[in-house]
Amino acid sequence: MYDEPYRWVEAVGNRRQYLDDQFRQGSPLVAVSYVDGIVLLTTSHGTPKLYEIYDRIALGGMGHPADLEKLRFAILDMAHTEGFQRSPGDVTGARLIKYGLAPAIKQAFEEIYKAPYITKLLLAELGNLPNQDRFFTIDYDGTFEEHDDMAVLGAASHIEDTMRAYLKTHVTPSAATLQAVLEVAVRTWALGALSQSHDNEQSESSSSDSKETESNKKDSFSEEQILEHLQTGLKEKTLECVVLDRQAPGSSKYRTINQQEILSLLPLLNKTTN
Amino acid sequence: MAFQGDFFQLLKEQGYQFELTSPKFGENGHASHPPLTQGTTVLAVKYRDGVLVAGDRRATAGNMVMYDRTDKVLEIDRYCVMAIAGVPATAFEMARVLEHSFKYYRRSQLQDLSFEGKLRALSKLLKENAPAALAGTGAVVPVFAGYDLQQGCGKVYFHDILGAEFEGVDHAVSGSGSPTIRGILHYINRWSGQPLARLPEEEATIIILRLLTSAAEFDSATGGVNVEANLYPTVKRITEKGVETIPADHLKTLYASKVAQYV
Repeated sequence: MYDEPYRWVEAVGNRRQYLDDQFRQGSPLVAVSYVDGIVLLTTSHGTPKLYEIYDRIALGGMGHPADLEKLRFAILDMAHTEGFQRSPGDVTGARLIKYGLAPAIKQAFEEIYKAPYITKLLLAELGNLPNQDRFFTIDYDGTFEEHDDMAVLGAASHIEDTMRAYLKTHVTPSAATLQAVLEVAVRTWALGALSQSHDNEQSESSSSDSKETESNKKDSFSEEQILEHLQTGLKEKTLECVVLDRQAPGSSKYRTINQQEILSLLPLLNKTTN
Repeated sequence: MAFQGDFFQLLKEQGYQFELTSPKFGENGHASHPPLTQGTTVLAVKYRDGVLVAGDRRATAGNMVMYDRTDKVLEIDRYCVMAIAGVPATAFEMARVLEHSFKYYRRSQLQDLSFEGKLRALSKLLKENAPAALAGTGAVVPVFAGYDLQQGCGKVYFHDILGAEFEGVDHAVSGSGSPTIRGILHYINRWSGQPLARLPEEEATIIILRLLTSAAEFDSATGGVNVEANLYPTVKRITEKGVETIPADHLKTLYASKVAQYV
């Protein structure tokens, strides 16, 4: 029945709706560059959502863990064979995304007889200088975007816009320290999570009177609300944080920030645990 | 193959051929090939804080010196080093395969490969290389040394061309100059008054410089130290902090004060 063109368009439309629903409960992801590297931050329930891909490349994702793993392995294979057959310098985020992941994700999304990947990905690539850092995000339909300085993942594009705007006003990547950038990143995460839960409440209440109003989408929250949501959010989930450290010795720049280090860098979290 | 974290298998699936061999070579059971680049003295010595691994810098092809600045002590990852003797083309390729294999394993499996696992990976490559080694076109006899974080100690291993691994209790040597220094190492370790494993870094480094100078004295394929050209051996230390290279300037000072004066 999908061989008629309009049916196919309809099916893809349904698929979009289905996928959008899958990310509602997901944990947003924040990546920002600072003087000595790049920070990636999200929360998780045990299964990690942030990964090392290559010497200067890290990956983060939202969505189904099994799909995330499948794509992670695909990109690891690509990066390592390229790095071995040519050289580590030839492994670039742009090539991995544009010629590797994006076509595969798009194809899976449009083949309506098969299951799509339930994932949104963010790839961070460390440069020698902060202004050479690159970020790539890729949506469940294979659409990719390239960013300087910072990138985020959230359940919907308007949430990502809100998060990005908040980050932009609070961070100057070329001058920020790890501690400063981490604090803004964790607040941005909370803002994203807060917007998502606000959206979810709205859609639940609006579904009863069947009229969805766009104006219900709220984009601004006070700092107190953000902090409060951060505190409640971190009761059930663990903060996960990694850096690509420009100053790290050796070729691999990826480093996990452990819980103890997170607490010492983020005094505002100590208040929440007490 | 990412599910098993086996990078070498992944390479093979993509059509990569590791072995460097041609049926023309060694068909009649003896070497019928042009002179190959090879020749070396490499050694690893356990000392107080871990392991010191060293090698001369000369590469030869028959009677000809190909190169005098080869680095034969190759850092595979933060905690292990492979010192190579034999055909550099194959040895460098092995080092590259190992380096990527260990990284790939760590990144895909989200845990570090154990020291035994790393050793096994090298043995597998040597085994894979056996036909080329027997044909005379690609024999590699490495010394593998590292710091075992799980056990908290340094370890040294040497191999034969087919991939058998032997653990050196106190030291390991390889290369054409190694017979000369093997006996000296044994003597020092047993009768010099202090076993190598208790020596501080500086004393162990002096012994290593003296050994490499001795090897160069009796083996034309070993480079030793060339003061005029400012050429010193490669010496790396492996401790719980990881692999670090001992700067050439430091070797220069030690050589001038503790080695050259006795030559």
